[in-house]
Amino acid sequence: MALPPPDPQFVLRGTGAAVHTLHFSCGGPEPDIPLLFSGSENGFIHVWNLKTHRVDSALDGHGRKSVYCVETMGGKDRLLSQGRDQRICLWDLAEGRTSVTDSVFTEHVGFCRCSLLEVAQGRWLMAMAARSLEEVQILELPSKTSVCTLKPEVGAKLGMPMCLKLWQLNCGSQPVLLAGYEDGSVVLWNVSMGKVLSKLVCHQEPVMSLDFDSEKAKGISGSSEKVLSIWSLNEQQNLQVYKTHELVNAGISDITIRPDKKILATAGWDHRIRIFGWKKLKPLAVLDYHTATVHCVSFSDHSKPRERLLAAGSRDQRISVWSIYAQT
Amino acid sequence: MAVFDTPQAAFGALRPACVQLTRVQTVENVRQLQAHLAGVSGAALQELQEYVLFPLRFALRVPGPKQERLVQSLVQCISSVLAATCVKKQELLQELFSELCTCLAPPPSSGKAAPLSEELKLAVIQALHTLMHSAYGDVILSLYQPSTLPLLGFAVSLLLTLAEQEKAKQIKISALECLQVLVLQCDCQEHWHLDEDEAQQCGDLFASFLPGISITLSRVIAGDIKQGHKTTVSAIRLFYLIVGLVMSDKQLARIPKNKEKLPVEHSRISELMIHRGPDWTKSTAEKLSLLLHKVVESSSVHPHWKVRLELVELVHHLLSNCSQSLVDSFSHLLKALVGLVNDENSEVQSRCNKVLQGIAEQRIVAQNRALADVLSENLHSLATALPRLMNSQDDMGKVSTLSLLLGYLKLLGSKINIVLNSVSHLQRLSKALVQVLELDVTDVKIVEARRSGPPCPLQQGVQKGRYQKKYFRFFTEEKVFQLLQQVCRVLGYYGNLYLLVDHFMGLYNESGLYRKQAAMILNELVTGAAGVGVDFLQEREVPLNMNDLKGSITSILDEYMDQANWYLVTSIDTEESSPEQSVQQGLAVRAGGSSSSVLLLSPEPPATTRTMNSNIWQICIQLEGVGCFAAVLGKEFQLLLLSALYPVLEKAGDRTLLISETALGTLADICEACGYNSVQCLINENSDYLVNGISLNLRHLEYQPRASQVLDTMLRHSDASLLPLVEDVIQDVLSALDQSYNSQASTFLRVLHSVMTALVQWFGMSSTEEHRQRQADKGQSRPRSWGQQEVTITSQELERFFLDYVSQKQIAEGDLPDLEEEEADEVPLAKPEPNSDTEGEAPMPIHAQLAKDVMERCIHLLSDGSLRVRLKVLDVLELCVTVLHPHGNHLLPMAHRVWPALVTRLISDDPLAVLRAFKVLCTLAQTCGDFLRQRVSKDVLPKLTSSLLSQAPVSARAGPVYSHTLAFKLQLAVLQGLGSLCERLDMVFSCT
Repeated sequence: MALPPPDPQFVLRGTGAAVHTLHFSCGGPEPDIPLLFSGSENGFIHVWNLKTHRVDSALDGHGRKSVYCVETMGGKDRLLSQGRDQRICLWDLAEGRTSVTDSVFTEHVGFCRCSLLEVAQGRWLMAMAARSLEEVQILELPSKTSVCTLKPEVGAKLGMPMCLKLWQLNCGSQPVLLAGYEDGSVVLWNVSMGKVLSKLVCHQEPVMSLDFDSEKAKGISGSSEKVLSIWSLNEQQNLQVYKTHELVNAGISDITIRPDKKILATAGWDHRIRIFGWKKLKPLAVLDYHTATVHCVSFSDHSKPRERLLAAGSRDQRISVWSIYAQT
Repeated sequence: MAVFDTPQAAFGALRPACVQLTRVQTVENVRQLQAHLAGVSGAALQELQEYVLFPLRFALRVPGPKQERLVQSLVQCISSVLAATCVKKQELLQELFSELCTCLAPPPSSGKAAPLSEELKLAVIQALHTLMHSAYGDVILSLYQPSTLPLLGFAVSLLLTLAEQEKAKQIKISALECLQVLVLQCDCQEHWHLDEDEAQQCGDLFASFLPGISITLSRVIAGDIKQGHKTTVSAIRLFYLIVGLVMSDKQLARIPKNKEKLPVEHSRISELMIHRGPDWTKSTAEKLSLLLHKVVESSSVHPHWKVRLELVELVHHLLSNCSQSLVDSFSHLLKALVGLVNDENSEVQSRCNKVLQGIAEQRIVAQNRALADVLSENLHSLATALPRLMNSQDDMGKVSTLSLLLGYLKLLGSKINIVLNSVSHLQRLSKALVQVLELDVTDVKIVEARRSGPPCPLQQGVQKGRYQKKYFRFFTEEKVFQLLQQVCRVLGYYGNLYLLVDHFMGLYNESGLYRKQAAMILNELVTGAAGVGVDFLQEREVPLNMNDLKGSITSILDEYMDQANWYLVTSIDTEESSPEQSVQQGLAVRAGGSSSSVLLLSPEPPATTRTMNSNIWQICIQLEGVGCFAAVLGKEFQLLLLSALYPVLEKAGDRTLLISETALGTLADICEACGYNSVQCLINENSDYLVNGISLNLRHLEYQPRASQVLDTMLRHSDASLLPLVEDVIQDVLSALDQSYNSQASTFLRVLHSVMTALVQWFGMSSTEEHRQRQADKGQSRPRSWGQQEVTITSQELERFFLDYVSQKQIAEGDLPDLEEEEADEVPLAKPEPNSDTEGEAPMPIHAQLAKDVMERCIHLLSDGSLRVRLKVLDVLELCVTVLHPHGNHLLPMAHRVWPALVTRLISDDPLAVLRAFKVLCTLAQTCGDFLRQRVSKDVLPKLTSSLLSQAPVSARAGPVYSHTLAFKLQLAVLQGLGSLCERLDMVFSCT
């Protein structure tokens, strides 16, 4: 008999609203305190101290509108956050400051999280859904200069972009964007040429989330249906369906592959977090704690593998933190 | 008598007497001279010294037998001359010295000491004493030349014989003092100070006498107690002075490799001279070691404290002068010293402590490898014997053994680690400690003592740092425990913390037998490591690394709070948990359901009182440990609260008195350490941690009782500010309850009860005030409706009155709608409650929402099979009603839903339940008022009246016992409550 699923290692309470996004910053050397950033529906970004399990500070920069994406840029001192006030804010958190240094007005009304890729020291590319419905815009940060705008062909009817993933095979190579669209298709864009490389219809419903493993050239996407779709990218830069996985309950709001590419976690509308082996998509565990839809899952970047954590944020206003390295 | 100041005048005065004495040597003449001497000033006599001495010496030298009295008076006279003058000539000194010695010498014919009178001996000794004091510094040195060695030896042996064999104390003491002067170690200050070379030379000379002196002295010291302590004290002093001089490390270091060649004329003497080379040093040290052992043994138990004090001085002197040459003896010496730390005499104690302090401060041990070896050797042998000693000795014996152990540890200081690094040493030591610290676990009371009722607010009755008094199997004396504590702390202070913690953790895990002791030791180790309450002699070399300490504490805490060590069977609780629950638990265990629950109950069948007592103690010790750690870490402990607070709070709610008290003490410690003003503060500030623990534990059936206990404690010691967090976890409780109505109902009901009690407490004030206001409103409105003369009646009121009237009328006419219909039209009735119109719009406050949710569960549980559960539910229900009271338009629908189940309780249940249900009804009536009128009169009143009717004759006839019956109580309650109930419900109307 399999072991009963574990309990969360601890649960963070006190966001006061549904949690939409989580991001760890734990990679720092010893004196640095491991942090978890959470963005919640009431527009606050909470900075959780993972030693005391308490909020160190709460950042208010999106006019009390839901924050649905938080990323660090480089260290834990620079933060990027995206909110429903249609702004992407850049924060300076060094030495206890909590100020917005810069912001980008996206004019996008959807929920598409932006995607960040560091292309050089202190230089990032950011993909974000743009004002017109189907477009994705690539900006260079921190200069905010527009690199290109990815516009689907006329008549493609992809709908709005739902999720984005910028990546490059290795440092210096061409950055590539994977975008999941409202019509259920995943499109591979060549960023520098602004061209569609490949398009694959994975789902009948909008793609809610996707993640991609550039080593194995395989990606996974989830939608509001009961199906997880795994697709691969072949040498000719063509996306192919590799496998699908049927779920018990419909609706996946977030998918994350663990940085070591061994397992992945999904955030389900059925209040559950599911853990799969990435290689064969073998179901490993169902983590049942939340009492409402789970909105996001995130793996920590601790330098010691044993300390690494999984966090999930849910509409029930709690963030559950799990230690699953020890078990797997 | 005239005083002669000038030499001339003095000469004139003394001459006749001197001449007379030279001619005829009689006692009378000597006395004459002495009488004249008294009148001569010191300066004058100095001039005439030799002149005066001549007749005296002449008289002594006259060949042939002499009268003893004459000799004595001569010697006394010489002595008085010498006392007033100085000897400035070497020859004079030597001659006088030898002449005086000769007086004591046996006549050459007989081999034995002459049977001289004691007075004479005393006189000679004193004269020698005076002589030594009257000689000038450089003059006296002439006596200490290799050439005078035989003379000195003669004097020494004479004096020793006297000291040993005489009966008279006075002589013994004088002889010893004289010897002390002779070896240039006089106590008085006016002596010529020897420079290094001179001292070296004297040391060489005295080396020849060392064997004789030391052997004789050791015999004197070990001699009959009747000789008086003064003799022994002087003997000990002389012993250590001479040994300290001859064996002085400083002198020995300067000894050349080869013996110096003396001039030829001294060849015989040079045979007598001793070369203090390494070989000699070694063999002498060996012999001295034996003697010292003897000395220490006899004097350390000497009844007179001055002797013991002198022994301390001996150790001190030898340790500071001969720490290298006499290293082999130190095992005895230190043992004596350390043992005397706890002498009954305070002076000995304090001196001893000072000496130890001095030793430690001068780092004699730290710098002397050999000494450290000796000490660790001692320690090892003591540790080896310790278990046996602890078993066999009485408390006093244990005190001395343990103070010895403590002394060794303190002396070793940071060198302790050498000992600890040896596995066998550490093992011995720890085994001994563990064995001694075994607790007495036979007391049944500890298992029996229960917390009675809810504990009073935590702040009261909790005193910080007051640990539970423990009872040990092998000793009762508190002092023994204190010593053991100190031993552990000193170990922690100097020792390698990681090593020690690791070792004792090993013991902790090795066997249940050791667990309590090991935990106790660990607590003390950590305390000691932090330097709290340690009585040390020297600062440790390496200051404490806070991170190490924190690391150790974290690992100990983890171990303490591990499932298997924290959750032990401490009671066979039949009283609280309902029988079916315990059966179920038992089943779960037998079925091997969940792996962890097996750990909770020991595999052995029923736990005996003994094991439960032992478990209780273990938990207490661990709790005390947590308190210690908090105290040690101070604010740093805050980080550990995350994992530690929940378990401690859990224990604070334990039903065993001892455990809950200890846990409260621990909480107080934590408060103090982390800077919280009160336990309430602590709980409030860290409620997030607690809620986390509770919520996680609620997910497991077997932990639920404990989680609810914590919630219980938390609620009891907190205030309304906690509500948002509590709300979160109560939802968890409710959902947990929803999943296990059957098994855990009683557990959760307790929590719900405390939740509702807390809510009533936090929000009750406002509600009662409102209530009063409402009553007042009613009071105002009633006369209006009664009288109807007032013109200010609103149309709404009029309408309501009319509707009421119609319905009452119907009832009065016996036109009772059946239940379903009634429910159907009750609901719209509830809606237009004018009072709460505004509240209906606003979102419900959290506490009201909670009360509503809880009430909802109560509805289901009201018809539970177990009476106990039903009673509890009724209690909770009453509280819910009180909390919901200000929120009428939520309460009324709920009341409506509760009604059928409540009625069943009122009508057909156990009398106990009826009693409670009636109370609930009264409360409900207070708040719902006329909403219930119809129902009460229809459903409840008939039954109540009939029961009252049937009970009336019974009670009328009943005897005094009746007032103790349930029936009586019920009857009384109904009779008391019915009146106000009817009034509240405006029953008057329906009856008219």
